[in-house]
Amino acid sequence: MISLYRPGTSLLHRMPAGPKLVVVAGLATAISLLPANPLLLAAVLVAVAGCYLLAGTGIAEAGRQLWRLRWVLLVVSLSQVFFLPVLAVAANVIRVGAVVLVANLITLTTRTDRLIDALERALRPLRKLGVNSDRVALMLSMTITTIPVIAGFAARIREAQRARGVTVSPFAAVVPLLVMALKHADDLADALVARGAD
Amino acid sequence: MSDHVIGFEHVSVRFARHTALRDVSVRLEQRRIAVIGSNGSGKSTFARTLNGLIVASEGEIRVHGIDPAREPKQVRQRVGFIFSNPDTQIIMPTVAEDVAFSLRRRGLPRAEIRDRVTAALNDFGLAAEADSPVHELSSGQKQLLALCAVLIGEPGLVVADEPTAYLDAANSRRIAGFLLDRMPQQLVLITHDLRLAARCDIALRFEGGRLSDQGEPGPVIARYEEDQEQP
Ligand SMILES: Nc1ncnc2c1ncn2[C@@H]1O[C@H](COP(=O)(O)OP(=O)(O)O)[C@@H](O)[C@H]1O
Ligand SMILES: [Mg+2]
Repeated sequence: MISLYRPGTSLLHRMPAGPKLVVVAGLATAISLLPANPLLLAAVLVAVAGCYLLAGTGIAEAGRQLWRLRWVLLVVSLSQVFFLPVLAVAANVIRVGAVVLVANLITLTTRTDRLIDALERALRPLRKLGVNSDRVALMLSMTITTIPVIAGFAARIREAQRARGVTVSPFAAVVPLLVMALKHADDLADALVARGAD
Repeated sequence: MSDHVIGFEHVSVRFARHTALRDVSVRLEQRRIAVIGSNGSGKSTFARTLNGLIVASEGEIRVHGIDPAREPKQVRQRVGFIFSNPDTQIIMPTVAEDVAFSLRRRGLPRAEIRDRVTAALNDFGLAAEADSPVHELSSGQKQLLALCAVLIGEPGLVVADEPTAYLDAANSRRIAGFLLDRMPQQLVLITHDLRLAARCDIALRFEGGRLSDQGEPGPVIARYEEDQEQP
C-alpha cells in the first residue's frame, strides 16, 4: 500500500483528493453490496479495468496487484468453497479483489501529501471535540515514513538470526524488534524537536 | 544576523547519575569547528546543548546571541542539526515533502514553498527523486536530503553529530565537502574522522566531559593520536 504512487496527468490524477476519496468509498461500498449475478460481476471487472485505463497505469498494473493479493484471494475462496455454491464464492473473490483494486486507485493517483491534506481537512470539524487535525496528519505522515524503516529492522533481525544459525522464529524476533523500534521512536522524537515541530 | 559567536561559560550538564559536561568555557567565532574525543567524552552532549535539545544544569550558553534554554524555538530556527543516522531525521514520506516540512510554520504561500523546495533539491542533486518515497534512497542520498532539509531553513549554524558515520567513503566525501567547503554557514562538526577535523579552522577535544584541548586542528589532533597510542 505504501509508495504505490505513479506520477501522471490523467483525469484521476487531476481530481482533488477529497472528492476522489468520497467517490472511491462509494464505489467500494457498491461493489461489496453487489448481488452474485454473473453479468454484474463481469461488468464490475470491466469497470475496474476501465478505471485503471483512465488512471493511465494500464491493465497490467491491476494484474500486478491481483498477483500480490493472490494469498488473500486464495484464503477467501478456500474458506468458503465447502460451504457456498461456486457462484457465491466467485462473487466474494471478485468483490474483495475489485474493492482492493479500486481502493488502490487512490494511492496510485494521489500523492501522499495530498491525501493527508484531504484527511486533515475532513478532520477539521472535529477540532471542537479536541482533535488536532494538524497533529493527526503529521502522525499519519510519520507512520507512513516509519513503516519501511521498521520493516528494515525486521529484515536485519532475520538475517542476524540466520547468520548465527538460530532457527528463525517470529517470536524470538519480537523483543529485538521492539527494542529497535523504541530506540527509533526516541531518535525520531529528537529530530522532530530539532526540526522545529510543535 | 547579529554575530556568529558561540559562547559557553562554566557550563555543566548532569544526568541522573552522570556528569556529561564539566565546567566548559569557550568562545568560538571560527566558521568550521571540529569536535573530537573518545566515545562517551561528552561530544554529543555538547552538540545538543547548542540547539537546546539538552539544557545546561549550570552555566551560561549563548548561540549567536540566543540563550537556548530561554528561547528554544528561536535557537532551533537559527541552528540546523544533522544526526548520524539519516533514517531518524527524515519525517515525511517523500523527498520533496520532507524538505518542505522545514518551511511549514513560516507562513509562506504554497507556491513559494514549492519553488524553494525545487531549487534546493536541484542544488543537492535530488531533483529526480523529488516524489520518491524516502526509503528508496541510498544512505548517502538520505543524508544529502537531511542536509538539504536543514539548509532550506537558512540556519546560521549547522551542528553535525558524526554525519558520516553511516556512509561509505564516497558519500562521506560528498557530505563532508558540502559541510566544509560549499556551505557558508558556521559549522560544528563532531567526528571520528580526523582527516575531516584537520580541514576545520579550530578543533576542540573532549575527555571525560571536560574540554581538554583546543586550538589549531593539526596539533590538537596530533596530541589526541599520541594519547590514544599510549595504553
Ligand atoms: N540522556 C542521557 N542520560 C544519561 N546519561 C547520558 C545521556 N546522554 C549521554 N549520557 C552519558 O553522558 C556521557 C557523554 O555522552 P555523549 O555526549 O553522548 O558522548 P559522545 O558523544 O562523546 O560519545 C556518556 O557517558 C553517556 O552515557
Ligand atoms: Mg556521540
